[in-house]
Amino acid sequence: MKLKLTVSCILIVLICAIIPPSFAGLSSSGEKKEFYITARQYAYEPGKISVNKGDEVHIKLASLDVIHGFFLEGYDIDAQIEPGVQKIKMRHPSQGREFTEVDEIVFTADRPGKFRFRCSHTCGTMHPFMQGEMLVNPNYPFLAGSGGTVGVFISALLTMFVLAKKDTSAAAEKELQHG
Amino acid sequence: MDKPQQDSTDTIQKTVQPDGKVKNKGFRIDLFKLIPLTKKICQWRSLQFLLVFPTMVIFLVFLYSGLFGSTVGNRNIIVIFVWIFWWFLLITFMVPFASRIWCLVCPFPFFGEWFQRLAFIKVRVGKMLGMRNKMYGLNKRWPKFLSNIWLQNILFLGMCTFSAMLLTRPIVSVIALGGLFFIATVLSMIYRQRTFCMYLCPVGGFQGLYAMTSMLELRATDKEVCRKTCKTKNCLTGSEKGWGCPWFQYMGKMERNNYCGMCMECVKSCPNDNISLNVRPFCSDTLIKGYDEAWKSFIMLALAMVYSVTLLGPYGTIKDWANVAETRNWKGFGIYAAIIWFTALVAIPSVWALGAWLGKVLSGSDKVSTKEIFIRYSYMLVPLGLLAWIAFSFPLIMINGLYIVSIVSDPLGWGWNLVGTADIPWAPIFSEYTAHVQIPLLLLGLFYAIKRGYDISLSLYQDKAKAARSLIPLGVVCTVVVLAFLKLFTG
Repeated sequence: MKLKLTVSCILIVLICAIIPPSFAGLSSSGEKKEFYITARQYAYEPGKISVNKGDEVHIKLASLDVIHGFFLEGYDIDAQIEPGVQKIKMRHPSQGREFTEVDEIVFTADRPGKFRFRCSHTCGTMHPFMQGEMLVNPNYPFLAGSGGTVGVFISALLTMFVLAKKDTSAAAEKELQHG
Repeated sequence: MDKPQQDSTDTIQKTVQPDGKVKNKGFRIDLFKLIPLTKKICQWRSLQFLLVFPTMVIFLVFLYSGLFGSTVGNRNIIVIFVWIFWWFLLITFMVPFASRIWCLVCPFPFFGEWFQRLAFIKVRVGKMLGMRNKMYGLNKRWPKFLSNIWLQNILFLGMCTFSAMLLTRPIVSVIALGGLFFIATVLSMIYRQRTFCMYLCPVGGFQGLYAMTSMLELRATDKEVCRKTCKTKNCLTGSEKGWGCPWFQYMGKMERNNYCGMCMECVKSCPNDNISLNVRPFCSDTLIKGYDEAWKSFIMLALAMVYSVTLLGPYGTIKDWANVAETRNWKGFGIYAAIIWFTALVAIPSVWALGAWLGKVLSGSDKVSTKEIFIRYSYMLVPLGLLAWIAFSFPLIMINGLYIVSIVSDPLGWGWNLVGTADIPWAPIFSEYTAHVQIPLLLLGLFYAIKRGYDISLSLYQDKAKAARSLIPLGVVCTVVVLAFLKLFTG
């Protein structure tokens, strides 16, 4: 009984975690998405950008006050921007420390999920917390996590009421035997 | 006796055996029996001093660095080591796996405790205040009406309101940590034992609450020995081998980790060799005893949410509000502070109260009051809150981990390169995978919240169906809370 319940609960959580991402689809749009992001102490504007998996993303950057960085996690992109300078210093950290000057950052959003871009150049007191978000849809981790959360709750309900029903049946059986 | 001393039997954790003996639910592995060396180490009088002294030296170095080092937070060791590294270790490893072990090595009571004992290692024998130790100082009793954790709650909330400054300005860290150190020392001269740690220390408050989940406990091996055989109660009163419990705990009644500072004095002073250091299942203590502890769980949950928005979110306006020392936006800071205090003290408790009332209605029973449901079920927010805090702390360490490595070479931000790591360029460590860590943590938190909630409901209701129905509304609240964290972290 206990094993059956445990297995059922695990299955419910797994199914709930799988369903939402399955409905989200897999297709890539492949559109060109352009963004102009300004950086100031200690935020980016816009702070959130959203693209679809497969989109070609073009990002232009500008600093409004001091030198800022732009480290996009998961995409091996690190950039530096100076106030009043249009060119962006960019590098791929995995390929070395040297920066090259570019007009815009271009990459293909091939990894779904939520990725933060952070300031990588100490810009003041709140520097470690200066960050923005790039959402690459479909956001499978979030969808699976949300489904799993609901799954945990459903399996908890199931377990509690199955145990309660079992208890009631056992009590009724006992009563019948005594009666 | 102070309130935390009067730990009653936690019915949820106990099962009565046919012979009438009460047995802990879940496994217990006594490390003292499994590895006898651990007992010898814990009985060693020099243990605490040898652990605290280095911490004290490091703490003084941090204060020096905060005063005279770089004013930029991520270039000063006090900020990086205390608020990133220490915090991560504390919440992720120490509390869940070793209870309040930090209290054993904490430098705050270092001088205060020395002043009370006039000794770092040896024990002074004497008779005073019902104890078998000689102690110095005024040894006053803490006022009865303050013998709860409300002051800790308010102090912690107050301190956290200024978190953006604490986490980014070395001098603010010096003021906060130095101030706590000073208060701990002065209070030790006036009040008995570790009054500061029990009733005021902001760190102690949440550590105590979350230590309920810990997989380690210090307990009497057999409580009957304490109650029937032991007449001297040396764990509480002390002996020539150990000091009386600085936390006012009597091992014959101690059933929760909340107020055990793991100082190991009871291991030394017990004349009956009746103390065990047990490994146990996660979330074994489940008894929330009053509104003060319930509110602590609300406060911790609210702060986890607020920090996730302020520090890990992309919202510049909120960061500006929190960063009042630089922006001078006092109106914004007022709004920010009001949101924190309202969420922690009013909004979450109100939702919880509504859930408790609905639970009572759904249960169809009048035997358990809404108040009891409100307080007892607030334990659900303990595993949930702890796991949410761990989920919050992972990105902090993944993002700032390399600052830790580089700051070791240049602790004051003066351009040194002591061990050759100062020039390592900053880069997040696998931060793109944080969601893959955070999601299982949150699900685990929800699982334990509901599982332990159900255990609690069974101790309140005889009928399992009633117990289950009473849990539904607050189970929904916990599920919504997890969904909200998921949205903040990954959505």
